[in-house]
Amino acid sequence: MANADLVSKRNSDTTFSEEEVAYVAPHPLAIILRRLAGRVVAIVTTLLGLLFLTFSMGRLLPADPVLAITGPEVSKEVYDRVYNELGLGQPILVQFLSYVGRVATGDLGTSATTGQPILTDLLAIFPATIELAVIAMIVGALVGVPLGITAAVRRGTVIDHVARIVALAGHSIPIFWTGLMALFVFYAKLQLVGASGRVDVFYEGLVTPITGFLLIDSAVEGQWDVFQSALGHIILPGAILGYYSVAYISRMSRSFMLEQLSQEYIVTARAKGLGRRKVVWRHAFRNIRVQLLTIMALTFGGLLEGAVLIETVFGWPGLGQYLTRGLQMNDMNVVMGAVLTIGAVFLTINILSDVLYRILDPRTR
Amino acid sequence: MLRNLLATAAMASALIVAQPSLAASPPNMLVIGTNLTGIRTLDPAQNNARTVSELISNLYDNLVQLSPDDLKTLKPMLATKWSVSDDAKVISLTLRDDAVFQSGNPVTAEDAAWSIQRVIKMGQVGSTDIALWGFTPDNVEKLVRAKDERTLEIELPRPVNTDLVLYSLAGSSIGIVDKKTVLSHEANGDLGGAWLSANSAGSGPFALAQWRPNDVAIFNAQKAYWGGAPAMARVVARHIPESGNLRLQLEAGDVDVGQYLASGDLDALSNNKEMVIDNVPGLGFYYIALNQKDPDLQKPKVREAFQHAFDWKAISGNIMRYTGFPWQSMIPRGMIGAPDEAASRYDYDPAKAKQLLAEAGYPNGLKKVLNPSGAATLPFAEALQASARVAGLDLDLVPGEFTPAFRERKYEVLLGNSGARLPDPFAVATQYAYNPDNSDEARLGSYYLWRAGMKVDELNTLVDQSMKERDTGKRTEIFKKMDSVYSGMDAPLVIFFQRTDPYVMRSAVKGYHGHTTWSTRWHDVTKE
Repeated sequence: MANADLVSKRNSDTTFSEEEVAYVAPHPLAIILRRLAGRVVAIVTTLLGLLFLTFSMGRLLPADPVLAITGPEVSKEVYDRVYNELGLGQPILVQFLSYVGRVATGDLGTSATTGQPILTDLLAIFPATIELAVIAMIVGALVGVPLGITAAVRRGTVIDHVARIVALAGHSIPIFWTGLMALFVFYAKLQLVGASGRVDVFYEGLVTPITGFLLIDSAVEGQWDVFQSALGHIILPGAILGYYSVAYISRMSRSFMLEQLSQEYIVTARAKGLGRRKVVWRHAFRNIRVQLLTIMALTFGGLLEGAVLIETVFGWPGLGQYLTRGLQMNDMNVVMGAVLTIGAVFLTINILSDVLYRILDPRTR
Repeated sequence: MLRNLLATAAMASALIVAQPSLAASPPNMLVIGTNLTGIRTLDPAQNNARTVSELISNLYDNLVQLSPDDLKTLKPMLATKWSVSDDAKVISLTLRDDAVFQSGNPVTAEDAAWSIQRVIKMGQVGSTDIALWGFTPDNVEKLVRAKDERTLEIELPRPVNTDLVLYSLAGSSIGIVDKKTVLSHEANGDLGGAWLSANSAGSGPFALAQWRPNDVAIFNAQKAYWGGAPAMARVVARHIPESGNLRLQLEAGDVDVGQYLASGDLDALSNNKEMVIDNVPGLGFYYIALNQKDPDLQKPKVREAFQHAFDWKAISGNIMRYTGFPWQSMIPRGMIGAPDEAASRYDYDPAKAKQLLAEAGYPNGLKKVLNPSGAATLPFAEALQASARVAGLDLDLVPGEFTPAFRERKYEVLLGNSGARLPDPFAVATQYAYNPDNSDEARLGSYYLWRAGMKVDELNTLVDQSMKERDTGKRTEIFKKMDSVYSGMDAPLVIFFQRTDPYVMRSAVKGYHGHTTWSTRWHDVTKE
């Protein structure tokens, strides 16, 4: 479908009218600058729109941000004081504009429920989330891609069916249940991994944060027992989260691969006498890399904010839990800060994958 | 390429296997699995919720304390003795001379006076307990004062039972802070509020070592504590929001004390010989609130019908097993003026409820919207909905967080639970029986009777009297009278259960006693 569109677009592009041919090409630097400016405008508008949507939706929630701070047993005087401190008496538009004004100067406000500046909270939480998502991504890619490709190559065989069942089970069994069962087996019975948090309690606070990524920091500081404990804590939630994404990655890899395997160049290559492995990995796989990259980028973004349940089961101090808790307690600064972060990450992933497309696919250069 | 991938995977799995099997938590360290959600600050003046009260009570000493097994007798803490002037206007407390803050500064009467003044001046949640007695930011400096280095005088602005005042001094919000240290961290006239949110400056048996909101709080023992060094060198409170996970960690020995477990997990743990479940009674109830702004619910017979429309016995053995016991009096069990027995004042009787509805003018039943106060009370609301349907009450259950709506009287029928910390029926009475102004403009959302939209002058007078009266015998009579008025008027807050808070402990843990007023202390905790 997309290919057909491209082809028709290309065809129509080749039938230039006289006027268009007379068009003088601008300086290449101007093109780059204009593109860059366009992109910056697009990013800022996207983030602003995202903020506005989130902000308005937050106002529709029934939760009371004052009670989130004070608890339900509070006198009228205290309630009013906190209400005014939060600026809730002002019109919504004024509240929104003053928020945006502060964000522009780098001030994301203070969380009503943790008492910390949002930026401090995010700096502590974000590395934990990225760390988990990276592990999950590695697992998802290492299992999902080979699984999908094998299924495509062995289409219709037992292997294909087993691959489908394995993948779909990961997606359809509630991740909450998978998490608890995995804890039961690997933590309670086999005692191979840790149960909650990023590290065992007796290793808490031993590592001075440099990057905030516990695996990296503990390795850099040479605290290998902390590293091992951290690895033991991240591997289970990471693997389960990864397994969850295996379904999507493997099904997509399979269909991309099937499309390639039916192309004539594959038949030609086989006819030339090339081995099956070479044909699959050297020829077909190269051609699906760009598509796979898109899938991975989307999955990674989804893992960042979509890991709420697994974060809850494993007591993982991550972005998903932070955002959900903010929503439940109507802590708008938290919600906006988290949404802004996720939005920024998605945009960054988009830009990065654009760059990678150019490297991987000569046609886009 | 595939071979490389496989090699990487093999290496990774080797690393996992190399992870040594986890040992139980060390013998001199107490690990508490709890829920740290919503703790915005560790400043005593800004708190009164349950979990944070426990954390604060171990960082700061109070002037006096109540032991968990005797909520009537005040015991010394920073104050070694106290006396009340003959006219009952002034309480004098003598402070011990060997207490020091974690900074090394000695604890003086000036610190104590300033701590109380600070709570009132900041006017945050912590002031709720003590502002009741008439202290204001304007009068507190004059009324709460250090007479000399060791003597603190508290003058009462209006006649109040002095026991009530002394009880309130044992609350976690009135922890004594180190004036010099806190003031050195003051910013923009906040009386050190911002700094104290993540630091400690107390004389308690523990000092705050690390605080990450929604994640972990770590406390180190103060070896020089005046009451002797605690046996636990370190206490860790860890955020474990998932009950199933917490249960596994308790069973494995990684967690010593578990709080906020779900009833299914409590059931399973109750069969485990290595576990002890301490079901601590709380000063609050599970109730059905009937909004008196609704003309149907205003009718006494309709309110009475609700008393017989809830099959509470059916849930007392399962979902309610660890969170409450049947109790239908507004005076909590065991307190002065409480009835000996109040577990079966209302029976589930659908036929009677139907008849009452018919007498009230609803022969075909009544339809209302039912809200739980929050996620925690949803199962009870579901049970109510099912049994009320049989009784001709068609309750349309809408789940969500409805405490805010309840406070603004924007609901029809609500199922909720309450809590209080002052160990005297007066605290509960202000919630359930007090409403001096029933107008919408008054916005007295802290009084449940206002939330229910009813004002009863006789009850108001009784609550006032119970605050002022000094004679315990007379107070007992006042509370008895209150109970009989309340139960005779088909109250719009229909009480079914008194709340309990379950604490699960590994049996090796000794000396950990969940406190009814939430000031659970770790000083005497040991592990075998």
